[in-house]
Amino acid sequence: MTKFTAWIKTIIFYEILVGMKATLSHLLHYKPITLQYPHEKRTLPDSYRGMLALLRYDDGTEKCVGCDLCEAACPSRVIKVFSAEVPGEPTKRYAKEYYMDMTRCLFCGLCVDACPVDALGMTREFEWAVYDKRQLRLNKEQLLAIGDRSYPVREKRLEFQHPNVAFFNVAFKGLPEKES
Amino acid sequence: MPKHEPVLLKNMLQPGYTGSLADYERAGGYQALKKVVGKVAPADVTAMVIKSGLRGRGGAGFPTGVKWNFLPKDYKGTKYLCCNADESEPGTFKDRQLMERDPHQVLEGIAIACYAIGAETAYIYIRGEFVLGSKILDQAVTEARAAGYLGKNVLGTGVNVDIWVHRGAGAYICGEETALLESLEGKRGLPRVKPPFPATSGLYGKPTVINNVETLANLPHIVNRGPEWFASIGSPPKSAGTRIFCVSGHVKRPGNYEVPMGITCRELIFEQAGGMRGDKPLKAFIPGGASAPFLTPDHLDVKLDFESVAQAGSMLGSGGVTVMEEGTDMVWAALRLMEFFHHESCGKCSPCREGSSWLVQTLRRILAKRGRMEDLETLVQLCNNIAGRTVCAFGDAEVAPILSTLKYWRPEYEALIREAEAHRAHELPMAAARH
Amino acid sequence: MPNVAVETVKLTIDGQSLTVPKGTLVIEAARQVGVMVPHFCYHPKLKPDANCRMCLVEIEKIPKLQTACSTPVAEGMVVRTATTVVNEAHKSVLEFILANHPLDCPVCDQGGRCDLQDFSHEYTPTTSRFIEVKRVFQKEYFSPLIEKQMNRCVQCLRCVRYCDEVMDVKALAPVNRGTMTEIKHFGTHELDCEFCGGCIQICPVGAITSRLSMYEFRPWMLKRADTVCTYCGDGCQITLQTKDNQLIEVNSSLGAGRNNGDLCARGYFGYHATTHPDRLTTPLVRRDGRLVPATWDEALEYVAETFAQLKLKHGAQVFAGVITARCTNEDLYLFQKFMRLAVGTNKLDSSARYGQVNAVRALCRIQGTHRWPVTFEDIAAAEALLLVGTNITEANPITGLRVKEAVKKHGATLLTVESLQPTVGTISNIANLAAHHFTAHPDQYKPVVLGLIKAVIEEGLADQPLSQKAPAYLQAIRDAVHALSWPTIEAATGSSAASFKEAARAFARTARAVIIVGAGVLREPGASGLAATLQDLLLLTGHHGRPGCGLAPLAEQNNDQGAVEMGTVTECLPGPCDLDDQEARARVSALWQEDLPQGPGLTIPEILEEARGKTLKALYLVGEDPVGSLPESARAKEALEGVEFLVCQELFLTETAQMAHVVLPACSYAEKDGTFTNTEGHVQQVRHAIEPVGESRPDWEIFSDLAGLMGYPLEYGDAKDLLKEIRALVPGYNLPGPTPKPSRPDHTAVDRYLQQGYAEDLGERYRYTPPVKAAGRLTLLVDQSLFHSGKFSTKAKGLLHLQAEGAVSLNPADAARLGIVEGDRVLLSNELGHCRTTAKVWDRIPAGLCRFPEHFDQEARRLLSVSIDVATGVPYYRSAQVKVEKAQ
Repeated sequence: MTKFTAWIKTIIFYEILVGMKATLSHLLHYKPITLQYPHEKRTLPDSYRGMLALLRYDDGTEKCVGCDLCEAACPSRVIKVFSAEVPGEPTKRYAKEYYMDMTRCLFCGLCVDACPVDALGMTREFEWAVYDKRQLRLNKEQLLAIGDRSYPVREKRLEFQHPNVAFFNVAFKGLPEKES
Repeated sequence: MPKHEPVLLKNMLQPGYTGSLADYERAGGYQALKKVVGKVAPADVTAMVIKSGLRGRGGAGFPTGVKWNFLPKDYKGTKYLCCNADESEPGTFKDRQLMERDPHQVLEGIAIACYAIGAETAYIYIRGEFVLGSKILDQAVTEARAAGYLGKNVLGTGVNVDIWVHRGAGAYICGEETALLESLEGKRGLPRVKPPFPATSGLYGKPTVINNVETLANLPHIVNRGPEWFASIGSPPKSAGTRIFCVSGHVKRPGNYEVPMGITCRELIFEQAGGMRGDKPLKAFIPGGASAPFLTPDHLDVKLDFESVAQAGSMLGSGGVTVMEEGTDMVWAALRLMEFFHHESCGKCSPCREGSSWLVQTLRRILAKRGRMEDLETLVQLCNNIAGRTVCAFGDAEVAPILSTLKYWRPEYEALIREAEAHRAHELPMAAARH
Repeated sequence: MPNVAVETVKLTIDGQSLTVPKGTLVIEAARQVGVMVPHFCYHPKLKPDANCRMCLVEIEKIPKLQTACSTPVAEGMVVRTATTVVNEAHKSVLEFILANHPLDCPVCDQGGRCDLQDFSHEYTPTTSRFIEVKRVFQKEYFSPLIEKQMNRCVQCLRCVRYCDEVMDVKALAPVNRGTMTEIKHFGTHELDCEFCGGCIQICPVGAITSRLSMYEFRPWMLKRADTVCTYCGDGCQITLQTKDNQLIEVNSSLGAGRNNGDLCARGYFGYHATTHPDRLTTPLVRRDGRLVPATWDEALEYVAETFAQLKLKHGAQVFAGVITARCTNEDLYLFQKFMRLAVGTNKLDSSARYGQVNAVRALCRIQGTHRWPVTFEDIAAAEALLLVGTNITEANPITGLRVKEAVKKHGATLLTVESLQPTVGTISNIANLAAHHFTAHPDQYKPVVLGLIKAVIEEGLADQPLSQKAPAYLQAIRDAVHALSWPTIEAATGSSAASFKEAARAFARTARAVIIVGAGVLREPGASGLAATLQDLLLLTGHHGRPGCGLAPLAEQNNDQGAVEMGTVTECLPGPCDLDDQEARARVSALWQEDLPQGPGLTIPEILEEARGKTLKALYLVGEDPVGSLPESARAKEALEGVEFLVCQELFLTETAQMAHVVLPACSYAEKDGTFTNTEGHVQQVRHAIEPVGESRPDWEIFSDLAGLMGYPLEYGDAKDLLKEIRALVPGYNLPGPTPKPSRPDHTAVDRYLQQGYAEDLGERYRYTPPVKAAGRLTLLVDQSLFHSGKFSTKAKGLLHLQAEGAVSLNPADAARLGIVEGDRVLLSNELGHCRTTAKVWDRIPAGLCRFPEHFDQEARRLLSVSIDVATGVPYYRSAQVKVEKAQ
C-alpha cells in the first residue's frame, strides 16, 4: 500500500504540488499586491524611522545644544557637529554647524535616543532620491526645515518644563563673549 | 533653700554677688588654685580628677582626667588648653551664665587644668554672640592677672598660665573641637580629619586639651572638697557630680537648674521647673540639647545620667532640656531643628552638606501638605546615610530630631501626607513645589 | 633623592596582600594592587582632606567605615572595598553629591572625562530620589581664561588646596557654608592670579573649565601627543590635544615628565602661538625689492645657488649662521653640521649665547661637567636653597614649584637674593618663603654673595677637609674677603653684617644645599665670574661634589642646554668639546668622514660686528631676530643691511625676516619630532601634534635639503636617525629615562681649580667697586614676566588676555616721589633715547629699580646699551640707568 502511494506521489509530482500550493492558489483568484508607487503609497507604521530632522522649541529656538552625543552615538559616522558659544549669549552652547551625510545613514535611530534634549527626530519622509549624492549631505538649515514641516507641534522650552533644569543651558548676563 | 545643694551656681545665687574678683575671693575663690599650684604634682591633680569621675559637660561626656592623660607624656614643647565656650546648642545656656555671673570660677578651673596638663597658654573660645560674656571674661582675666592668679609666675610659684579670650565669628560648628581649633588658628572653621586627635596635634599642631566651661568650673570644687566628695554626689560611679540643666519650653519656670545627676526627668520638669505651662500634658522633651533625640512622656522616669538617658535612646548631651506640651506639631518641631542644622552645616563633607538641605526641603514639603508616603522612607534612609559618614559628629546630631520624631510620632507625618494626597487633585508634586 | 631605609607594613586589600612603606594611605596602597577606590577630594599632590566621603572602605576591627584617603596603612590591616556595605555607602554619598548637581553634562566640557559622571555610571541608579528644587548660584564672571560653573561644584576643595599647597598663590577660597559653599577668588575684580591652570586640571568635575577651549571639543574626539613645552628651560611635559588638526587644549598628566602635571600660564594657555594666522605658510623670495611667495624648490635652489656662488667668490669665511635655542637638538645638531661641512665655517652661534654659555662655562671650569650636578628631585629634597637673581616664579615657574615644595613640604631653609621684595600678592613670591632675603639690584648680587662668603669665613663655617686639601686657595679667599670690610658690604647691599652671618650659618650647616642662579646673574655683566664665586661658596661650605648639592643655573630657553651640547655655540663642538680640542676634532671628523673647517668661530656680537664691517657676505638666521630682540644700540639693523645675502628661517615674518632675501617657513615644536634638553640636562621627546602649518617644514629637513643642493648630502630618514648620530658624539642622549642622572663632578677639574685655576681671576672676582650711579635715576630692568616668553608667546591669544602690553613697574615710594600713580603715562629717558609707556605701581619692586617686560620692549629697548663679556662673548643688555618722569 505504502509502496503504491509512494509510486502515485512520484508520478503526479506530489512534492512539487505541495511546494507550489501557495503559488497555484493565487493563480486562481488573482489580486495584485504590488503598490503602484509613486501613484499609490503605503501606509507607514507608527514607529516608522524616516528622514532625520532637527527640531525647535515653541518659541522658534533650536533645541540642539551642540553636545556631540549624536555624533558619538552614530555607528556609521553620519553626523558631524561643530559646537560653539551662542553669539551674543555667553556660555550658552549650540551647534554652529551641523551636518548629516545621509548617504551613510542606516536609520537606526541611535542619535535620536542619544539626544539629551530631544532635538533630533525621525520623520516619516523617505522620498529623498537625488541625482547628485552630494545633495544628501544636509546642513543645519536643511535639517531644521525638515523638522519644521514634520513636527508642527513643538515643545515648551526645557526650563519651563521642569524647574531643576532651569540652568541647563542658559546665557548669562554681564559676561564677555568668548572670542573665536 | 533648694532641695539640692548647688555647687557651680552657689556663688551667684548669693544676693549681691557681682562676680568680681573681690566677691569671688570672699566666697572662698582661688583657694583651690593656691592649694595645687606648686604644691601638688600635676600628675596628682590629674589623678584627682580621674578619681572624682568628672566627665565632660560639653556633650560627649568623655572622662576629663583620661582626656588629659592622652597628651604625650614626655613631650617638652608647648601645649595648649582650649576652653570651649562656643555654647551654641539650641536650648543650652548654662555656660553663658557661668561666664557672665561667676567668671573667676571658670578662670580658676582653667588655671588648675593648665597646671595639671602643663600648658602655659589657654584660650577661651567664646561664642561670637556672647559679647557681654567676653567682656566680663576679659575684665576678669585682667583682674586675676593683676592679682597674680594668672600670667607669668602664678602666685610666685614660677608657673605661667596665660588666658586669652577669643570671640568666635558665629558658627555652630566651631563648638566641634577641631573646628574650634581651626577657627582659633584664623582659618575657616571646618572640622579636621581625625586622627590625629587634638591631644597629639591640636592647636598649631601642638598637643591640646579642649574642655567645656562647666567641666572646668567644676575643678576648683573638686580640689577644694576632694574627689571623694565629688564622686559621692550624683549617680556614681559613671555619672558623678552635679549637672546644670537648662530647662526651656512649655514649663512654668524655664531656667538653669543645678541638680545632682541621676534625678529623674519628672523631678526636673515637674518639681524644679514648676511643671507644665497651664498644666497641659507633656508631649515630648529633648533631654540634652538639639542634637539629642526626642523622648516621650513614657521616658519621664528615666534618670538623668549619661547611661540611663543613652539607654532610653537619647543622650544627655549638653544638658539642654526642651519640653513640649500636648498640641505641639512634631513635624514642625523636627523641621525647626533641621532648619537650624541646615543653616549651620559647615559644608565640608558631602552627606551632611547636601543631606541637610535635602531633609529640610522634604520636611517643608510634608509640612506644606505636599508630601508623599514614600518621602518617609526616603527620610529614614537619608538620615541613616548621613549618620556615621561625616567627618565630625554633626552628621549624627542633625538626623536625631527626624529619626526620633519619626519613631514616636509617625502618625503625625502620615496624617499630613494623607491630607496632601486628598488635596492634591492632579497636580504633580514638582509643579507645586515651584510656587 | 635621599636613600633612607623605609619601614614597611603588610596589609590585605580585597584579599590581596601587599607590603607598602609605612605612612602610605589606604587609597594609595589599594591603587598599587589595582583596586580603584572612588574619590573626589583625594589627590596625590595634596594633603588629605577627606571631605567628599566617597572613598569609604571597610576596615576589619573598625566598626565605622573609614575614608581610604586619610587612613594610613597599619600592620595586618584588612581592607575591603567591594562589600555591600561599602557599595551602599558609595551609592548614598553619590546620591547626596548628585542631589544638587545640575543635569547639564551635555553642555559641560568635562562631560566624558568627569569623575562624577564615571562614578555615577558605576554606582547609582539612573533616576534620583531628589525631587526638590536644586540650589542655584549667582553666575559670576571669573576671568577671561577660566570659566567657573559653581552649580557643578562638588566642594572637594581640590582647587583651593592646590592653589595654596602646591602653587602657594592662595587665590581661591571657599565662601559661605553648607550647600551654599562656593569657590571664589578674593576681591570684587575678576580673578587675578598666576593662571597656572591647575584649578582647571585638578577639578574632578566641570566646575572650573578653560574658557579658551570651551565648547570646542568633546574629550573623546581629542588626539593626544605628549611633547615638551618651549616657553622656558624647565622642560615641562605637556599633552597637546588636537581635533581635526586644531590645537584644542593642553594638559599635563600627573606623574608625567619633569613637571609632574604642574604647568604655568605659558604652558597651559600659551598654545595658540603656534597656530597664529600670521604664521608663514610658503617660502618667500625677494624679487624687485619685495618678498613674494615662491615654491620650496625655487627658494631652496636660489639659496643653494647663491651660497655656492658666494663661497666660490669669497671663500667659506664670509658665511655665518645663528640658530635659536628653541629648536630641537636634531635641528641644532644638523645646523652646525651644515655650517661646518656644507658651508665650511665655524662662524655659527645660537641664542644660548645670551646667558647659558656663562652657566656652562662656570660649571665646566669648577666642576668639570657641563650639566647640573642636581635634579629637580634634589631641589625638592634640599635642606638649604640659595636663589640668586632667579625671579624663579616668573622665569622658571616649575623649578620654582620644586623650591616651594622643599620649603613648604619638607621645611627647607630658603635664602633668596632677588630684585624683588617679599610682599603678598596675586603672583606667588618666592621671597615670601625665604628665611633670609636680600633685596638686591642687578648690580648688587655680587656684593651680597661676597658678603655671604665673608660671613662663612669669619664665622668659621669653612669646610675642614678643604683647608688641608687646598690651603692656598682657602688663604687666597680669606685674604680677598678680609680686604672687603663689612661697612663696604653693608653700604653696597643695604643688609647688615648680622643678617649675612645668620644666613651663612643657616646655609652652611646643612647636609644638602643647592644654589640656583637665574637670568639675574647669567645675563648681567660679570656673570661667569659670579657663577664661579657661588661655586666657591659651595666649596667653602663643603657642599661641592656632595650628592644632591651643587650649582643649578636656570636655562631661559627650552633648549639652551641642548644648543651647547650639540656644539651649536661657536666655541664648542658636539659633546660639548672645545673647538680647539684636537682629540675631539678627530673624533667628530671620523664620524662625519670629513675634515672640520679651520678658522675661528664668531659669537653673535662678533657676527654683527663683521656684518657691519661688510666682511660678512651671507648670513643664515634660523628663528633668530636680532633686529627685533637686540637693543638699538647693538645696531643690528645696520649690520644686517650690510649683508649681501640674508636667509631667514622663521615661523613669523619678524623684523629681521622682513629684511631677508629669502624667508623659509619652518615648523613650530607642535609640528615636528625631536628632542629637547631641559635646564637640568634631561633629554625629552618632542612629538608632533598637528600637521605642519601651510607648507612649513621641520628645520632639519630644510638644512638637509639645502646641503644636498649644495653638493654635501646630509641625508637622514627622520629625526630619530639624527638622534642616533648625536648619541655617538654626545653622552647622555641614550633612551631618555623618567628621571635624569645628575652629572658627578669631575675630580681632576675640581682639583685643578683648587690648586691653580682659581688664581687666574680670583682677585677680580672678589674685588668690589661700587658702581657709579647718576643721581635721580632709576635702574631699569628689562626682564621676563610670568605670562610671556620671548616674543613668541605674544602671538598666543590666551596669554594676551593676561598681559597684552608692557608697563613699567615702579616702587610705590619712587612713584610717589615722582608724582606717578598707577596707569599714568610715563616717559623713560637716558642718553640713548626715550620711550613712553604706562606706569604700574608694584610694592614688590625695591626702591631705585623699575621693571619692564622684555616681551613688549620694542620701544624700551632703545634705552639699553650693550656690553660684551670679554671672556664668554655674551652680550648684556638687560639693565640701564633711566630717568623716569610723568609724560606730559
